[in-house]
Amino acid sequence: MKKVLTVVLALAFMSMLAFGQEVAVIVKTGNSSFWQNVQTGCFDAQKELKKTTAKFSVTFLGPQSESNVNEEINIVESAIDRGVKAIVLAPSDTTALIPAVKKAKAAGIKVIIIDSKLDGPASQYDAFLATDNDAAGRACAKEMIARVKAATGSDSGKIAIESYVAGVGSEVGRVGGFKDYIAKNSKLQVVTTQYSQSDQVQALNQVTNILSSNTDLVGIFGANEPSAVGMGRAIAQAGLAGKIVAIGFDGNGVLQNFVKDGTIQAICVQSSYNMGYLGVKTAYDASVGKKKVAAYVDTGFLLVTKDNIDTTPAKNVLY
Amino acid sequence: MDNATLQPASTEAKAKIPAIRRGVKISLDKLVIFGAFVLLFALFSVTARNFFTLRNTLTLALQTSTITLMGIGVTFTIITGGIDLSIGSVVALTGTIAVMAANVGIPIWMSMVLGLLTGVLCGLCSGLLITGLKLPPFIATLGMMMVVRGVVLTITNAMSKPAPDAFGDLGNDTLFRINQQFPGIAYPVFIMILAAIIFGFFLRKTRMGRYTYAVGSNEEASRLSGIKVSRVKLVAYMISGFCAALTGIILASRMVTSQPNGGMSYELNAIASSVIGGTSLMGGIGTIAGAVVGSFIIGVLGVGLTMQGASYFVQQIAIGLVVIGSVAVDQLRYKKK
Repeated sequence: MKKVLTVVLALAFMSMLAFGQEVAVIVKTGNSSFWQNVQTGCFDAQKELKKTTAKFSVTFLGPQSESNVNEEINIVESAIDRGVKAIVLAPSDTTALIPAVKKAKAAGIKVIIIDSKLDGPASQYDAFLATDNDAAGRACAKEMIARVKAATGSDSGKIAIESYVAGVGSEVGRVGGFKDYIAKNSKLQVVTTQYSQSDQVQALNQVTNILSSNTDLVGIFGANEPSAVGMGRAIAQAGLAGKIVAIGFDGNGVLQNFVKDGTIQAICVQSSYNMGYLGVKTAYDASVGKKKVAAYVDTGFLLVTKDNIDTTPAKNVLY
Repeated sequence: MDNATLQPASTEAKAKIPAIRRGVKISLDKLVIFGAFVLLFALFSVTARNFFTLRNTLTLALQTSTITLMGIGVTFTIITGGIDLSIGSVVALTGTIAVMAANVGIPIWMSMVLGLLTGVLCGLCSGLLITGLKLPPFIATLGMMMVVRGVVLTITNAMSKPAPDAFGDLGNDTLFRINQQFPGIAYPVFIMILAAIIFGFFLRKTRMGRYTYAVGSNEEASRLSGIKVSRVKLVAYMISGFCAALTGIILASRMVTSQPNGGMSYELNAIASSVIGGTSLMGGIGTIAGAVVGSFIIGVLGVGLTMQGASYFVQQIAIGLVVIGSVAVDQLRYKKK
């Protein structure tokens, strides 16, 4: 009886272990087209790498919502327990994920961070692949200043920011870079920053209210996909399409339509596909391939406007 | 609440007397809540720019209408002594189904009806779990919340898809538009007012409505009096699903897209508005009018604080304090009895 029990337990234990060579990709949420595009990149990389290492596999997970930091921590810990070879992680908080990352490293698991930074020294992880969110924020600010000047003739006026989740690494970089560039290069005044919690309807309502209470607003910045979509809808409904400078972020179908019809003047599109594709490839190289990998890779971004939306570089990043 | 003492009086008489006594008490409650709303409205009119305008008041009504509709629906379930946590996910599913139907060519009105039917079906599922399997409402609807969310994310791959332009008419058009001066009353606001009147009438004046109160006050006595308790509960949860579906379709129409990720945590605002409006989580007490006013208190806090530039977090604190405060005031009043 005892022997049978031991065998059964051993089998059960083995089944809990990662089969073959698994890389776990853990993102901020499973629920958004941005992250789904990252997933496409991950699975394309998996397909390629399976040709070299047959047992190679990629799992893709994320909590219900971007603000659910605890759930992300749990998913990371369960990946560690499974004994994965590497974790590709988009942390939903700059400090809360640090202990989990430490645990992974201690267990010999390679850690690749994507999209949002983790506080502290870069030695905590093996590589960091991201949009330079700070640079992206600044590029948006530059575009905002130029367009406001073209529209009103001056570089002073009121603008607002519709952000998403306060405190997350990408937001700190993006909105921080935006605000800093605006402050140093123009006389534009940011009257308010609201947080949509990455909910389109919340963004729609908040921007509508901002537009109601600030009838002299010259520009507005929607800092991620749901915020930009809600912002676009609010501008369209208020009848202000083309009358206010709107800069958005990310590039799903709805946002592309807004750019084409002039509701939003420009969108800053990250290469979410690259984050997934290069992220998995880097994780493979670091773990299975046992190579040394570059500490930082800038996955890039592109400002898409009505003028360049049909060109190849734009088509590559849009989804 | 009295222990089950069998009374020879008819069920209707039994349900009527407590309701009358409740009626006087509720009028006072409603006055206080309404007074609170007026106070907040006045406060924001003074402190927030462009708040006290006709256009903004209409915007307030439009933005609040979603919470109100969900609040009306969930009130029914709370009065029966239960709760419905699945409504946020149902909002996402029903809006998505309506958009998907419209995108394959089904006429828009029919797509919306399909969405409504989906909502009623979800409510029926919740109700059956509670009446058939005897699951506690909290657990049953919590499970439904997760299952429904999973379903809508699976069928859409979490991607938000645009709907045909005409789909947006319901959420964005208005009636009685007079040029630039009067922007008109938005359709969702009309739907909200209609729903409040119809469901309010249903709850207070029809037999099924009063059975709802009876089941919530004392389920065992109601059963012994011959009320079909299971049927009453099923109706309550189907109404909740219907209202959530109405909300989902309106939101999908306002955004002119499907949002499989939308509606998250909306159930909390709906429950809060019902509770602020005087509904007791113990069951047996609550009104539609109260839920409507409660939703407007939450709505005015959201709109007013955003217009003042206050952060989203301050809004959360404010709404939380209002929920605690209104329930505390209610408790104190009952203690005095």
